[in-house]
Amino acid sequence: MQIKTPKLPIACPSCQESLHVSQLSCPACSTQVSGNYPLPVLLRLPADEQAFILQFFLSGGSLKEMASQIGISYPTVRNRLDDIIEKVKQLSSEE
Amino acid sequence: MKKLLLNPFEKYGELQLLAVGIILTVAGSILAFYCNARFDGVIDLHFGEGLILSDPFIDNAINIVSLFIFLFILGLIINTKTRIIDVVTTILIARVPFYLLSLVNCTNIMVRIQNNIDPANLYNITFSTLEMITLLVFGLVTILFLIWFVVLLYNGFKTATNIKQTSHKVMFGIAILLAEALSKIILFIL
Repeated sequence: MQIKTPKLPIACPSCQESLHVSQLSCPACSTQVSGNYPLPVLLRLPADEQAFILQFFLSGGSLKEMASQIGISYPTVRNRLDDIIEKVKQLSSEE
Repeated sequence: MKKLLLNPFEKYGELQLLAVGIILTVAGSILAFYCNARFDGVIDLHFGEGLILSDPFIDNAINIVSLFIFLFILGLIINTKTRIIDVVTTILIARVPFYLLSLVNCTNIMVRIQNNIDPANLYNITFSTLEMITLLVFGLVTILFLIWFVVLLYNGFKTATNIKQTSHKVMFGIAILLAEALSKIILFIL
Protein backbone atom coordinates (compact mmCIF):
# COMPACT_ATOMS: atom_id res chain seq x y z
CA MET A 1 0.00 0.00 0.00
CA GLN A 2 1.33 3.39 -0.99
CA ILE A 3 1.19 6.16 1.59
CA LYS A 4 -0.03 9.45 0.15
CA THR A 5 2.17 12.51 0.63
CA PRO A 6 0.16 14.88 2.83
CA LYS A 7 -0.74 18.20 1.24
CA LEU A 8 0.62 21.34 2.90
CA PRO A 9 -2.40 23.21 4.25
CA ILE A 10 -2.17 26.91 3.37
CA ALA A 11 -5.45 28.25 4.73
CA CYS A 12 -7.15 27.89 8.12
CA PRO A 13 -9.95 25.30 7.88
CA SER A 14 -12.18 27.41 10.18
CA CYS A 15 -11.71 31.00 9.02
CA GLN A 16 -9.77 30.61 5.70
CA GLU A 17 -7.01 33.00 6.88
CA SER A 18 -3.48 32.25 5.65
CA LEU A 19 -1.68 29.84 8.02
CA HIS A 20 1.75 30.54 9.56
CA VAL A 21 4.47 27.98 10.33
CA SER A 22 4.81 27.52 14.09
CA GLN A 23 7.04 24.45 14.24
CA LEU A 24 9.80 22.89 12.11
CA SER A 25 11.57 19.64 12.82
CA CYS A 26 14.71 17.89 11.55
CA PRO A 27 13.87 14.36 10.30
CA ALA A 28 17.45 13.17 11.05
CA CYS A 29 17.96 14.27 14.69
CA SER A 30 14.40 15.34 15.66
CA THR A 31 15.52 18.85 16.64
CA GLN A 32 12.49 21.10 16.74
CA VAL A 33 12.35 24.82 16.05
CA SER A 34 9.36 26.82 17.23
CA GLY A 35 8.35 30.29 16.09
CA ASN A 36 5.86 32.18 13.97
CA TYR A 37 6.91 32.26 10.33
CA PRO A 38 4.60 33.42 7.55
CA LEU A 39 4.53 31.13 4.50
CA PRO A 40 6.42 32.42 1.44
CA VAL A 41 4.14 33.86 -1.26
CA LEU A 42 4.61 30.92 -3.66
CA LEU A 43 3.65 28.39 -0.96
CA ARG A 44 0.44 30.30 -0.32
CA LEU A 45 -0.77 29.44 -3.82
CA PRO A 46 -2.93 26.32 -4.33
CA ALA A 47 -1.06 23.12 -5.28
CA ASP A 48 -2.17 23.20 -8.94
CA GLU A 49 -0.88 26.77 -9.37
CA GLN A 50 2.44 25.81 -7.73
CA ALA A 51 2.69 22.89 -10.17
CA PHE A 52 1.95 25.27 -13.06
CA ILE A 53 4.77 27.62 -12.00
CA LEU A 54 7.16 24.67 -11.64
CA GLN A 55 6.25 23.42 -15.11
CA PHE A 56 6.70 26.94 -16.52
CA PHE A 57 10.18 27.04 -14.95
CA LEU A 58 11.10 23.55 -16.22
CA SER A 59 10.01 24.39 -19.77
CA GLY A 60 12.45 27.30 -19.74
CA GLY A 61 9.72 29.92 -19.56
CA SER A 62 8.36 28.94 -22.98
CA LEU A 63 4.56 29.21 -22.96
CA LYS A 64 4.37 27.59 -26.41
CA GLU A 65 6.30 24.54 -25.22
CA MET A 66 4.15 24.38 -22.11
CA ALA A 67 0.96 24.58 -24.16
CA SER A 68 2.04 21.63 -26.32
CA GLN A 69 3.11 19.66 -23.22
CA ILE A 70 -0.21 20.19 -21.41
CA GLY A 71 -2.27 19.88 -24.61
CA ILE A 72 -4.08 23.23 -24.37
CA SER A 73 -3.88 26.37 -26.49
CA TYR A 74 -1.25 29.10 -26.09
CA PRO A 75 -3.69 31.87 -25.01
CA THR A 76 -5.18 29.55 -22.36
CA VAL A 77 -1.72 28.99 -20.86
CA ARG A 78 -0.92 32.72 -21.06
CA ASN A 79 -4.23 33.63 -19.37
CA ARG A 80 -3.54 31.16 -16.56
CA LEU A 81 -0.07 32.63 -16.06
CA ASP A 82 -1.49 36.19 -16.07
CA ASP A 83 -4.05 35.16 -13.43
CA ILE A 84 -1.33 33.64 -11.22
CA ILE A 85 0.88 36.75 -11.64
CA GLU A 86 -2.07 38.89 -10.53
CA LYS A 87 -2.63 36.63 -7.52
CA VAL A 88 1.07 36.70 -6.53
CA LYS A 89 1.08 40.52 -6.81
CA GLN A 90 -1.99 40.66 -4.57
CA LEU A 91 -0.43 38.30 -1.99
CA SER A 92 2.85 40.26 -2.06
CA SER A 93 1.04 43.55 -1.44
CA GLU A 94 -0.78 42.01 1.55
CA GLU A 95 2.52 41.21 3.27
CA MET B 1 -17.66 16.91 -27.58
CA LYS B 2 -19.33 19.80 -25.70
CA LYS B 3 -15.96 21.57 -25.47
CA LEU B 4 -15.33 20.98 -29.19
CA LEU B 5 -18.68 22.51 -30.15
CA LEU B 6 -18.74 25.40 -27.69
CA ASN B 7 -15.12 26.21 -26.82
CA PRO B 8 -12.48 24.67 -29.12
CA PHE B 9 -10.26 27.72 -28.48
CA GLU B 10 -9.21 26.49 -25.04
CA LYS B 11 -7.64 23.30 -26.35
CA TYR B 12 -6.65 23.60 -30.01
CA GLY B 13 -3.65 25.57 -31.26
CA GLU B 14 -4.00 28.65 -33.45
CA LEU B 15 -2.72 26.96 -36.63
CA GLN B 16 -5.20 24.08 -36.33
CA LEU B 17 -8.05 26.54 -35.70
CA LEU B 18 -6.94 28.76 -38.59
CA ALA B 19 -6.79 25.84 -41.05
CA VAL B 20 -10.19 24.50 -39.97
CA GLY B 21 -11.65 28.03 -39.96
CA ILE B 22 -10.50 28.78 -43.53
CA ILE B 23 -11.70 25.39 -44.85
CA LEU B 24 -15.11 25.84 -43.19
CA THR B 25 -15.42 29.44 -44.46
CA VAL B 26 -14.78 28.31 -48.04
CA ALA B 27 -17.09 25.29 -47.65
CA GLY B 28 -19.74 27.49 -46.00
CA SER B 29 -19.59 30.02 -48.84
CA ILE B 30 -20.00 27.30 -51.49
CA LEU B 31 -22.87 25.76 -49.48
CA ALA B 32 -24.53 29.19 -49.23
CA PHE B 33 -24.28 29.58 -53.03
CA TYR B 34 -26.06 26.25 -53.62
CA CYS B 35 -28.67 27.02 -50.95
CA ASN B 36 -29.31 30.58 -52.24
CA ALA B 37 -28.23 32.11 -48.92
CA ARG B 38 -26.82 35.60 -48.40
CA PHE B 39 -24.92 36.58 -45.25
CA ASP B 40 -25.84 40.25 -45.63
CA GLY B 41 -24.57 41.37 -42.23
CA VAL B 42 -22.57 40.00 -39.29
CA ILE B 43 -25.73 38.55 -37.69
CA ASP B 44 -27.85 38.26 -40.86
CA LEU B 45 -28.95 35.44 -43.13
CA HIS B 46 -31.42 35.90 -45.96
CA PHE B 47 -32.48 33.72 -48.85
CA GLY B 48 -32.96 34.84 -52.44
CA GLU B 49 -32.45 33.77 -56.02
CA GLY B 50 -29.99 34.90 -58.67
CA LEU B 51 -26.80 34.57 -56.62
CA ILE B 52 -23.39 34.36 -58.26
CA LEU B 53 -20.65 32.26 -56.65
CA SER B 54 -18.67 35.29 -55.50
CA ASP B 55 -21.61 36.75 -53.49
CA PRO B 56 -21.34 34.55 -50.36
CA PHE B 57 -17.52 34.88 -50.44
CA ILE B 58 -17.78 38.70 -50.52
CA ASP B 59 -20.45 38.62 -47.76
CA ASN B 60 -18.25 36.47 -45.55
CA ALA B 61 -15.14 38.58 -46.20
CA ILE B 62 -17.02 41.77 -45.21
CA ASN B 63 -18.50 40.15 -42.09
CA ILE B 64 -15.15 38.73 -40.98
CA VAL B 65 -13.32 42.05 -41.52
CA SER B 66 -16.10 44.05 -39.77
CA LEU B 67 -16.03 41.77 -36.74
CA PHE B 68 -12.22 41.76 -36.70
CA ILE B 69 -11.92 45.56 -36.67
CA PHE B 70 -14.12 46.03 -33.59
CA LEU B 71 -13.13 42.88 -31.68
CA PHE B 72 -9.40 43.40 -32.17
CA ILE B 73 -9.55 47.06 -31.09
CA LEU B 74 -11.60 46.04 -28.03
CA GLY B 75 -9.19 43.16 -27.38
CA LEU B 76 -6.24 45.55 -27.32
CA ILE B 77 -8.12 47.89 -24.94
CA ILE B 78 -8.84 44.99 -22.55
CA ASN B 79 -5.47 43.23 -22.83
CA THR B 80 -2.47 44.55 -24.75
CA LYS B 81 -1.23 40.95 -25.20
CA THR B 82 -4.21 40.11 -27.47
CA ARG B 83 -2.93 38.49 -30.67
CA ILE B 84 -4.36 39.04 -34.16
CA ILE B 85 -4.43 35.30 -34.91
CA ASP B 86 -6.56 34.49 -31.83
CA VAL B 87 -9.21 37.06 -32.83
CA VAL B 88 -9.17 35.89 -36.47
CA THR B 89 -9.58 32.19 -35.54
CA THR B 90 -12.36 33.12 -33.10
CA ILE B 91 -14.32 34.87 -35.87
CA LEU B 92 -13.70 32.15 -38.47
CA ILE B 93 -14.87 29.34 -36.18
CA ALA B 94 -17.76 31.30 -34.63
CA ARG B 95 -19.36 31.87 -38.05
CA VAL B 96 -19.80 28.11 -38.66
CA PRO B 97 -23.40 28.04 -37.24
CA PHE B 98 -24.42 30.57 -39.93
CA TYR B 99 -22.99 28.35 -42.68
CA LEU B 100 -24.95 25.37 -41.34
CA LEU B 101 -28.12 27.48 -41.15
CA SER B 102 -28.08 27.99 -44.93
CA LEU B 103 -28.91 24.24 -45.22
CA VAL B 104 -32.46 25.15 -44.18
CA ASN B 105 -33.00 26.35 -47.76
CA CYS B 106 -31.39 23.33 -49.47
CA THR B 107 -34.71 22.52 -51.19
CA ASN B 108 -35.33 26.23 -51.86
CA ILE B 109 -38.42 26.10 -49.63
CA MET B 110 -37.67 29.42 -47.91
CA VAL B 111 -37.46 31.23 -51.27
CA ARG B 112 -40.77 29.65 -52.35
CA ILE B 113 -42.44 30.83 -49.13
CA GLN B 114 -41.00 34.33 -49.62
CA ASN B 115 -42.26 34.43 -53.22
CA ASN B 116 -45.79 33.59 -52.04
CA ILE B 117 -45.85 36.72 -49.90
CA ASP B 118 -47.23 39.80 -51.62
CA PRO B 119 -45.39 42.83 -50.17
CA ALA B 120 -48.24 45.09 -51.29
CA ASN B 121 -50.78 43.07 -49.34
CA LEU B 122 -49.13 42.13 -46.04
CA TYR B 123 -52.46 41.94 -44.15
CA ASN B 124 -53.63 39.05 -46.28
CA ILE B 125 -50.81 36.50 -45.96
CA THR B 126 -51.83 32.84 -45.90
CA PHE B 127 -49.50 29.92 -45.27
CA SER B 128 -50.11 26.23 -45.78
CA THR B 129 -49.61 23.88 -42.80
CA LEU B 130 -46.27 22.72 -44.21
CA GLU B 131 -45.10 26.31 -44.64
CA MET B 132 -46.16 27.18 -41.08
CA ILE B 133 -44.26 24.17 -39.69
CA THR B 134 -41.21 25.06 -41.83
CA LEU B 135 -41.21 28.66 -40.60
CA LEU B 136 -41.65 27.57 -36.98
CA VAL B 137 -38.80 25.04 -37.17
CA PHE B 138 -36.60 27.55 -39.01
CA GLY B 139 -37.32 30.17 -36.32
CA LEU B 140 -36.39 27.83 -33.48
CA VAL B 141 -33.27 26.50 -35.23
CA THR B 142 -32.19 30.08 -36.05
CA ILE B 143 -32.46 31.14 -32.39
CA LEU B 144 -30.42 28.10 -31.28
CA PHE B 145 -27.74 28.66 -33.93
CA LEU B 146 -27.58 32.39 -33.14
CA ILE B 147 -26.95 31.51 -29.48
CA TRP B 148 -24.31 29.00 -30.61
CA PHE B 149 -22.63 31.75 -32.69
CA VAL B 150 -22.56 34.18 -29.71
CA VAL B 151 -21.29 31.46 -27.33
CA LEU B 152 -18.46 30.53 -29.74
CA LEU B 153 -17.58 34.19 -30.34
CA TYR B 154 -17.61 34.97 -26.61
CA ASN B 155 -15.56 31.89 -25.63
CA GLY B 156 -12.98 32.60 -28.33
CA PHE B 157 -12.77 36.29 -27.38
CA LYS B 158 -12.52 35.36 -23.69
CA THR B 159 -9.60 33.02 -24.44
CA ALA B 160 -7.92 35.63 -26.67
CA THR B 161 -8.21 38.51 -24.19
CA ASN B 162 -8.73 36.94 -20.72
CA ILE B 163 -11.90 39.07 -20.38
CA LYS B 164 -13.29 39.20 -16.82
CA GLN B 165 -14.96 42.51 -16.01
CA THR B 166 -18.69 42.95 -16.65
CA SER B 167 -18.05 46.30 -18.38
CA HIS B 168 -15.81 44.51 -20.91
CA LYS B 169 -18.55 41.93 -21.54
CA VAL B 170 -21.00 44.76 -22.26
CA MET B 171 -18.43 46.33 -24.61
CA PHE B 172 -18.13 42.95 -26.36
CA GLY B 173 -21.87 43.03 -27.08
CA ILE B 174 -21.63 46.62 -28.34
CA ALA B 175 -18.68 45.63 -30.59
CA ILE B 176 -20.84 42.95 -32.28
CA LEU B 177 -23.61 45.50 -32.91
CA LEU B 178 -21.10 48.03 -34.31
CA ALA B 179 -19.66 45.30 -36.57
CA GLU B 180 -23.19 44.52 -37.76
CA ALA B 181 -23.74 48.21 -38.59
CA LEU B 182 -20.39 48.47 -40.41
CA SER B 183 -21.01 45.32 -42.46
CA LYS B 184 -24.46 46.62 -43.45
CA ILE B 185 -22.97 49.98 -44.53
CA ILE B 186 -20.22 48.28 -46.60
CA LEU B 187 -22.73 45.92 -48.25
CA PHE B 188 -25.05 48.88 -48.97
CA ILE B 189 -22.21 50.83 -50.62
CA LEU B 190 -21.18 47.79 -52.71
